[in-house]
Amino acid sequence: MNRPLPFAAAALLLAAFAPSQDVVAVKGGRILTITGPTIDDGVVLIESGRITKIARTADVEIPWTAKVIDATGKVVMPTWVVAHSQAGQRGLNENMQNVPWLSVADAIDPAATYFEDALRNGVGTIHVLPGNQTLLGGTGMVVRPAGRTVEDMAVAANTGIKLSLASSGGGRLQQIRRLRRAIEDVREYLADFDRRKAEFDQEQAAGAIPADKTWTEQIDRTKKAACDLVQKKTKGWLFVPSAAELDEALRLSQQLDLVLVLGANIDEGVMLLTKLAQPVVLDDEIEYYETDEETQKEHKVCTAKLLADAGVPFALSLGLGGPTSYPWWQLGTCVRNGVDRRLAIEALTTVPARLLGLQDQVGSLSEGKLGNLQILTGDPLQATTWVETVVLEGNVVYQRSEDPKLKYLFARDKDMAAKAAADKAKDQAKATDDAADGDPANRPPAKAADGGGDGPAPKRDGDGKQPNDGGAR
Amino acid sequence: MNLRLPLALLGVLTLGSALAAQQQTTVYTGARILPGGRPAIDNGVLITAGGKILVVGGASTAVPEGAVTVDCAGRTITPGLIDASFRGGAAPNDLNEQGEEVTPQVRVLDSLDPEDRSFARARAAGVTTVHVMPGTRNVIGGLGCVVKTFGSDPAAMVLKDAASLRIVMGAEPSMGNRAIRGGRVDSIYYRRPTTRMGVVWEVRKAFYEAKQALELTLGAAAPPPSPGRDVLARVLRGELTAYTTARSEQDIRTALRIAGEFGYQTVIEEAQDAYLVADQLAAAKVTVLLGAPSAAQVTGPAGADGADPRYATARMLADRGIPFVITTGSNAAALDLVREAMFAVRNGVAPAMALDAITVAPARLLGLDDRIGSLAAGKDADFVVWSHDPLDPAAVAVSVHIDGKPVTAPR
Repeated sequence: MNRPLPFAAAALLLAAFAPSQDVVAVKGGRILTITGPTIDDGVVLIESGRITKIARTADVEIPWTAKVIDATGKVVMPTWVVAHSQAGQRGLNENMQNVPWLSVADAIDPAATYFEDALRNGVGTIHVLPGNQTLLGGTGMVVRPAGRTVEDMAVAANTGIKLSLASSGGGRLQQIRRLRRAIEDVREYLADFDRRKAEFDQEQAAGAIPADKTWTEQIDRTKKAACDLVQKKTKGWLFVPSAAELDEALRLSQQLDLVLVLGANIDEGVMLLTKLAQPVVLDDEIEYYETDEETQKEHKVCTAKLLADAGVPFALSLGLGGPTSYPWWQLGTCVRNGVDRRLAIEALTTVPARLLGLQDQVGSLSEGKLGNLQILTGDPLQATTWVETVVLEGNVVYQRSEDPKLKYLFARDKDMAAKAAADKAKDQAKATDDAADGDPANRPPAKAADGGGDGPAPKRDGDGKQPNDGGAR
Repeated sequence: MNLRLPLALLGVLTLGSALAAQQQTTVYTGARILPGGRPAIDNGVLITAGGKILVVGGASTAVPEGAVTVDCAGRTITPGLIDASFRGGAAPNDLNEQGEEVTPQVRVLDSLDPEDRSFARARAAGVTTVHVMPGTRNVIGGLGCVVKTFGSDPAAMVLKDAASLRIVMGAEPSMGNRAIRGGRVDSIYYRRPTTRMGVVWEVRKAFYEAKQALELTLGAAAPPPSPGRDVLARVLRGELTAYTTARSEQDIRTALRIAGEFGYQTVIEEAQDAYLVADQLAAAKVTVLLGAPSAAQVTGPAGADGADPRYATARMLADRGIPFVITTGSNAAALDLVREAMFAVRNGVAPAMALDAITVAPARLLGLDDRIGSLAAGKDADFVVWSHDPLDPAAVAVSVHIDGKPVTAPR
């Protein structure tokens, strides 16, 4: 996991993902705008990647050039927004701890299945940050889970530094001490820099330095991001593993502009969190058992419910695989524990959008925002609901009917399973082929041909364990 | 953490009311009743007394005088759920008797701990009856039992003390075992079998010896008594059902083959790859237990079996008419039983059928459908009052009743 990455300065990230030039009309669905009223049988009109109109179908004239997506009988809503994720990277953390100059841009793997899964779940905006095993751990970026390169995926770069109170050997107090030290080092560096600059000006004024000489020294590149943090020019995203670290987290958040990213076990610290100005980000594990130390009796805890009761605004997270990776499951867990349905939905839309400073871009449907929406087969909190289509800035980036993974998982008998496995192998062969610039020597063995009949069990083919799949996709 | 006092208080209240409730005639009105195996009754009436169900009927059902009425308007009532393969019930170390690899005679009942947390968790999730089997580390693990999830004395919780014989195929029984490689033959570290073929051989040998003994008793010379062999003989005579844990296609085929060879009846447990062996399963007329159908992969040591679960499996079994039961099974990632049924519905199984797969179907499989698994006059008053449709992700068990007694703190 801690595979060291070669040092690389964060690339200048240009938005290469082109908003669709088409006029796109999503028509006939029940539109959950989140911030505005719900519209039954409405139209969302997207032009050049932005929403230009949302209204009842009867009240909209759809331009004849528009590409119409029929959503009759379906639910149309904004794609989900994830405020903090450490997935989708190759190597979450440097094995050096204090590395504020790094950027996740160099670690994000556009081919990671995490991004595929995100689209399948209707997630359209993800804030990727370095992992939790760090002190000052590099800057994050906001991506869309679509595109073949990091540049394609980029929505916003330099979204703040990751900090962590998770102890990495040496215990909790050690980690607190180290983090304070790391921040203090940056302050000292800045103070020293300012002092030297002041001295230069003084000496120049006194004539000791020629008047035509200018101060050329710049802030050290490896310290720039950390300096921005202590000067409150950028946000910090502080991981707080448990309630025990909350005191220190609150102290730090008085000095820095911090968003707290909470671990699972924070039920005892809920009252402390009421003092915060910013919403917090919850762990993906929001429901767990607590054991009473005396009676050894267990009771179930839902951290979302505790925060909702205490009036602390929160954003929800999604897990990696399993039920917590499904937005409907996370929202269902909230509602089942007594959280208001509206509050739960906001915790995956408007609240994270606000945390990312993207509240006028994503998280709700209204005129002027990005044309990011998902079409669902039903209510977003039902287990039987599936994401049919995902549209990002007017581009259809996901369609359930063409989802190879779902085809694979729903292959229902031996013949269908074999066919699904063969298709998958074929797709992979094609992708590898593309990646190899069509050089026939690099082509993987044609696995697709032997998928049927009584050949080797198709599942072995489908696992993606062919010798040549080497990450190409 | 600071809920200690109120919780304790609730506990006392629950216990107090529980004793009264058992004797009292109680009427639950206004709920949508899903009786199991029969159509739903809207605005139904459920009447219980003395731990049994008196009547299940529509709104016009006559209510006896002096009965306590509980208003359940807007709620849904289902039979208490039955987990036909429950991983808990005892400390994990107590589930595998590893003195030998074939231990048909040991009873999991002797390991059961009524205070085990898994019982309280299961109860809170609406599970009123569980089938516990010995662990998956042995080739033939021993006798499973069926117990209710409430009680302090295993003997009082038991519905069936020898309900099954667990047999395990695949990688688990041989995992970590050591062959003699230059070491001492009598080393205590040496444990068989070490391969799949070794596992199969252990099963075959055990049944072969049991069969031989069975045939010998017909003659003059009875073989010396052997408790293990006697258990296997009961399986061979059709008096006891084997539950063969077989996840991958290869292991399911093997399980069916051995059962066919010796002519005993088996249930295929944890049959993740059932979708690949549908024809054989249908032909063999076996019931399939689906462990944790929510999981897209098998986690833990069982992952080494090489099974490849698919979302389509439950739906495919339903379409093919192969009887199946949804369980939590041995997958550590399993959710509450009702949520496992919910995932089956998500993946295409009809809601009524998914509910049957955690109520009526397991009751029938365990031979206890005259007592549990459905709501009808004369059956045990094991039922769950849900906040609304139990297959909704936001549904909770408002109260859970075993033999008429409420067994969870009221919500």
